[in-house]
Amino acid sequence: MDKHGFKKILLRHETILFAVLVAEWIFFEVIGRNFGTYDNTCDILRHSCEIGLLALAMTPIILTGGIDLSVASLLGLCAILFGKFWRDAGMPIPLAVACTIGVGALAGGLNATLISWLRLPPLIVTLGTFSLFRGLAEAITRGVDTFTNFPDSFLFLGQDRWLGIPAQAPFFLAAAIFFWLLVHRTTFGRSFRAIGFSPEGARYAGIPVARRVAMVYVLAGIVSAIAAIIYTARLGQAKADAGTGYELFAITAVVLGGTSIFGGVGSIPGTLLGVAAIAVLHSGIAHALLPGEMAGMLTGVLLILALAGSTLPKMISSLRARKAALKIPPQAA
Amino acid sequence: MKQLLQLSAVTKSFGAVQALKGISFDLQAGEVHALLGENGAGKSTLIKIITGAHQPDGGTIEIAGERVEKLSPVAAHKLGIACIYQQPALFPDLTVAENIGLRLEGANSLSRVDWNSRRNQAQKLLRRIGADISPDAEVRSLSMPEQQLVEIACALGAGARIVIMDEPTASLTQKETGLLFAVILDLRSSGAGVIYISHRLEEIFQLADRVTVLRDGESVGTRNVCRSRGDETQTSQSESDKRLLTSSPTLTESELIRMMVGREISQIFPPAQSAPGETVLSLKNLGCTAGGVKNVSLDVRAGEILSLAGLVGAGRTELARTIFGITPADAGEIILRGEKVEIHSPQEAVARGIAYVPEDRRRHGVILEMPVAQNMTMGIHRRIFPGTWLRFGAERACALDFIRQLDVRAYGPEAPGHSLSGGNQQKVSLARWLATKPKVLILDEPTQGVDVGAKSEIHKIIRRLAKDGLAVLMISSDLPEILGMSDRIAVMRGGTIAATLPGKSGAHEVMSAALGQKGAGK
Amino acid sequence: MNKYFREFSAAAALGILLLALAIFAPSFFQPQPLLSLATREAPTLVVACGMALVIICRQIDISVGSQFAVCSVCAGLLAAMHWPLALVLATTILIGTTFGAFNGALVAGLGLPSIVVTLATMVTWREGLRWLRQGVWVDLPNGVQWFGLPQMTGQWTLVLVALAILILLALTLKHISIGRFVYAVGSDAEAARLAGIRPRMMTFGVFVFMGALTGLAAMMNTIQSPQVDPNSGTGLELKTIAAVVVGGVAISGGRGTLWGVFTGLLLLACISPALTHLHVEAFWGKAIQGATILLAVVADGVRTRKQRY
Repeated sequence: MDKHGFKKILLRHETILFAVLVAEWIFFEVIGRNFGTYDNTCDILRHSCEIGLLALAMTPIILTGGIDLSVASLLGLCAILFGKFWRDAGMPIPLAVACTIGVGALAGGLNATLISWLRLPPLIVTLGTFSLFRGLAEAITRGVDTFTNFPDSFLFLGQDRWLGIPAQAPFFLAAAIFFWLLVHRTTFGRSFRAIGFSPEGARYAGIPVARRVAMVYVLAGIVSAIAAIIYTARLGQAKADAGTGYELFAITAVVLGGTSIFGGVGSIPGTLLGVAAIAVLHSGIAHALLPGEMAGMLTGVLLILALAGSTLPKMISSLRARKAALKIPPQAA
Repeated sequence: MKQLLQLSAVTKSFGAVQALKGISFDLQAGEVHALLGENGAGKSTLIKIITGAHQPDGGTIEIAGERVEKLSPVAAHKLGIACIYQQPALFPDLTVAENIGLRLEGANSLSRVDWNSRRNQAQKLLRRIGADISPDAEVRSLSMPEQQLVEIACALGAGARIVIMDEPTASLTQKETGLLFAVILDLRSSGAGVIYISHRLEEIFQLADRVTVLRDGESVGTRNVCRSRGDETQTSQSESDKRLLTSSPTLTESELIRMMVGREISQIFPPAQSAPGETVLSLKNLGCTAGGVKNVSLDVRAGEILSLAGLVGAGRTELARTIFGITPADAGEIILRGEKVEIHSPQEAVARGIAYVPEDRRRHGVILEMPVAQNMTMGIHRRIFPGTWLRFGAERACALDFIRQLDVRAYGPEAPGHSLSGGNQQKVSLARWLATKPKVLILDEPTQGVDVGAKSEIHKIIRRLAKDGLAVLMISSDLPEILGMSDRIAVMRGGTIAATLPGKSGAHEVMSAALGQKGAGK
Repeated sequence: MNKYFREFSAAAALGILLLALAIFAPSFFQPQPLLSLATREAPTLVVACGMALVIICRQIDISVGSQFAVCSVCAGLLAAMHWPLALVLATTILIGTTFGAFNGALVAGLGLPSIVVTLATMVTWREGLRWLRQGVWVDLPNGVQWFGLPQMTGQWTLVLVALAILILLALTLKHISIGRFVYAVGSDAEAARLAGIRPRMMTFGVFVFMGALTGLAAMMNTIQSPQVDPNSGTGLELKTIAAVVVGGVAISGGRGTLWGVFTGLLLLACISPALTHLHVEAFWGKAIQGATILLAVVADGVRTRKQRY
C-alpha cells in the first residue's frame, strides 16, 4: 500500500469504522435474540448482496467526482425486463440473464454518454435517469404486472445455500475482488482518483478522461443488472418497484466507508465495511424487536456522524495551530 | 511625505512554521514600493496581513498614522486598501457591472439595487483605465487579462489609497501591461501608494521608487531604485516599450538578486552547444480554428532549444496545445521524424513521443492532492505498469531517481504535491514528462513564478536535456531567458510565425518582430 | 447567445405543449379543473422557489419531501387539537425552519456536502415519521379545510398566495442586495467573502428559508383535504429540482431566474393531466418527467459545449 499523508487518515477512518462494526455486532448480540447465529449471518450476507453490489459500483463513480442516483431505478427496470425476457419472450434463463446485462450496459451507456461526452453534471443527469428508468419500469408493467414462478434452479441462486454459504455470496465476493483490484491495483483506479482530484490535470497528463468516466458508468449499469437478477432470485418475483431506495443505502455505505463525495479519496474495503455496518444495523434492529424505521433513522444519524467525524481532524488541527500561535510571544522590534 | 502604511516588527506563524519573523515595512504616499523575494520568503503572508486576511501574532500596523488593531478584510477595504491578485476574485456568472457593484457597495443586505447607477459606474471606471470591456459582459466570457483589468477598476472605484498588486503582468499583453503601468503611474501621481510584487526585475526598475527584499520571513533591506526618470507623465506606449527593450542587468540588479538568495547567482545561462541534429518535429501550415492558430510552419531539431517568443495572446500556448492534441489541428500537417502524424488527443501525442509541460502548473502540471511519485508516473502508466497492474516498488524507484536527478526538495516521494514550493512543483511536472522519454519536449513558461535559485537549476536541466538529444520547444515571455537559452527563436504574432531569428539576436529584434514593426528579422 | 436562452426555450416548450392540447384536447382548458390543478401545485411552487434559491447558492436539498411530510402531519395534528389556524400556520413554519436550520448548520457550519447531509436528514425524518405515525392518516376537524371558506375562495387564496411569494422572491432576487448575495455566493463563495458578504451565513440562510417555505407549503397542502396523508411530499424533491433545472437554473450555481422556475413547474405539472387528456396512459408520467429533465440538461450542455475532455 502507498504511504502518504491522506492515506493515513483514510486508514484511520476504516479502522474506526471497523471498530464501530464490531461494537454494533456485540451490541446486537447482547440485546437481540438469535442475532449472532450462523443462520442470521448468512441472512445478513444474503440481504446485503444487492446493496453491496451497487455500493461497489458506486465507489469508482464517486472517486471520479461523480455520482449515480439511477442505479436502483435501473435495478428495477432490469428486474422486470428480465422477467419479460423469460416469461413473454420465452428465453431460457441464461439467455435472459445475458440480455438483461446487455440492457444494463446500454442504460449505463446512456449515463456515460451524457456525462462523459456531453459533459453534463452527473447529479442532474442521473436524477433524470433515476426518474426515467423507474418510469419505464412502471410503464412497461403498466404499474401492476409482476413476474413470478421462476424455476427452482434459478431461485436457488437467491434463496439457497451452496456449500454452506448463501448462493449469491460467491458472486458478491467475485465482484468485491474485481472492484478492489480495479480501484487499488490497476492504472484505472489511479486514473479515477486523478480525475476526481482534477479532471483538467488528468487530461493534460494524457489520461483518457472521457473513456475512464464512461467506463465507470457503464460498469455501474452492468452491476445494477446483475444485482437485479440476484434480487429477483432472492424475492422470487420481479416488480417495477424493485430496489426502491437502494441508491441511498449504496451512497451511504460508500460515504460511510470513507470515500469523499468530492472525489479522489476512497477505498473498496471502506465501502465493504460501510455495507456491513448498514446490513448489521438493519438485522440487529429487527432481531432486537425494535421498530424497523429505527434502522433507517440510525443510518441517517450514522452518516452524519461519519461525515462530521471526517472533518473533525481538520478542525482540531486548525484549533491547535491557533492556540500554538497565541502562545508565541511577540518578537522584540 | 505622508506615510500611508507602517508595519513594525510584525510576526506571524502558522503552527510550527514562522512565516514572518519581525518585519518592518512602510509605504509613503505617491510612491511605488516593490516587494521582492523568493517563493516562501513571506511576501504573500505580508500582503495577507495588510489586507486583513490574516492577523499578525505580534508587532503593530499603522495606517495613515493611526494604529489599527484586528484588521479585517472589510475594515481594510474601508481604510482604502485594495489588492489585485493574479487570480481575480470575481463572480464568473455575474456581469462586470454587478461585479464592480458588489465589490464597491459594501455588504448592506437590505438596500435596493440600482442597476442604472451600477452600469454607469462600471462604464466610467472601465473607461478611466482604458479597458475595452462592456459592463454587461459576463465575467466568465472575459479573458484572464480582462478580468484583471476589472479588478483594477474595482480598486480605483473603491478610492483605494494603498493598492497592492501581486504579479499583475504575468498574463497581460504588451498593450495591457502598458495600460497597467499608466494606471499605476496615475495612482502614484494622485497620492496613492502602490505595493508592487513581481519576479520581473526589469519591471521593478521601470516602475518602482523603492524596493524591499524579503528572505526567509525577514526584511533584508529597502533600497531606493535609481533610474533615469525622464518625463514619466508624458510616457507614451512606445516609450515604455523602448525602456523594456534597452533595460539590461545593472549592478543594482545583481545586488537585488544577492539580497534575495543570500548568495551570488549569475544571470549567465548555460552555454549552447554545437550543431543540432536531424529535424524531429516539423509543422507545415498547421492551423487550429478553435485555438486561433493559423498557418504555422516551423522545424525543431534534436539537440536544439527553439524558443517561441511573442506577446501574450500571440497564440504560443494555443500552438502547443494543438501539437499536444488538446485542441487538435484542423489544417496542415505535423511531421514527426519524417512521418506525417495525426494527433487528436493528449494520449496520442504522448504515444508519439511528444511531451508538454503546461503553463498552469497548479491546474494542469501537477495534481496537488496526489503524491510526488504518482504525479511523476502519471504519463507512463503503459510502460511502468504493464497490463495495468500497479507496481509500487517500480514507481518509488522511478520517483527517487527523478528526485535525485532534478534535485526536487520534498520530504519524500509520498509527499503530496501541495506541500512543495512552486519551483519544486515545476520540477515534478517536468519529471513527469521526462519519464515518458519524449522526442519532443514542449515547455510552456518553465520558470514562471519560480524563484531565482530554482530558475537557474531548471535552465541547467533544460540545456542538459537538449544536449542529450531532445528537441526542445520552449515558450517563454521572459526576454532574458529567451535570449540566454535559445539556439533559435521563433516569434509568433496573431496566431502565426512572424519571424525566425538566430539565438544570438538582440532584444530589439525579438520585440520588433513580436510587435510587428518594420525592420524585423526575416 | 441570449442570456435567457434556457428560460425562453422552457417557455417555448410549454407553449408547444399548450398548443398541442388546444388542438388535440381542448377539454383540458376548463376553468374548474385548471383551478384545481393550480391549487394542487401551489405548494409545489412555493417549495420550488425555495429550492431555486438553494441551487442558485450552489447547494442542494433533497430532504424537502420528508420535511414536507412531517410538517403536514404536525399541522394536521395541531389542527385536530383545535388550535387556532393562525397558530398552526406559525408553528408549522417554525417546524420547517428548524429542519432547515439543522441542514444549514451541518452544511454551513461544518462544511459538509449538502447532497449527503440532506440525504441523511431525508431518510431520518421520513423513517422517524413512519415510526411515529405508522402510516396512519390524520383526520382534520371541520372548518380546517380551505380555512372554513368556500372551496373556490380557498383555492384562489392558495394560488394567489403562491404567486405572491413567487413575485416577491423574484423581485427580491433581482432588486434587493441580499438577493444578489445569493447569486454571488453561488457563483464564487471565496470572492463573496472578499467582497464582505458572509458565505456561511448566506448558505445557512437559504436552508433556513427553504425550511420555512416548506412549512408554509405543507400548511397550504394540509388545508386542501379533510385528511392528512403521512406520505404526502413523496417525490417532492425530485419534482422541484426538475422544475428548477428545466426552468434554467444551473446546478453549478450563480444563475437562474424564478420566472424560469415557474415555467418549468408549469411544464412539468401540465404533463400528467395532458397525458390523460391525450389518452396516453398515466403510468408514462414518471418516464416523461425523467425524459424532460434529460432534454433540458442536454439542451444546456449542447449550448455551452466548451472543450471536451
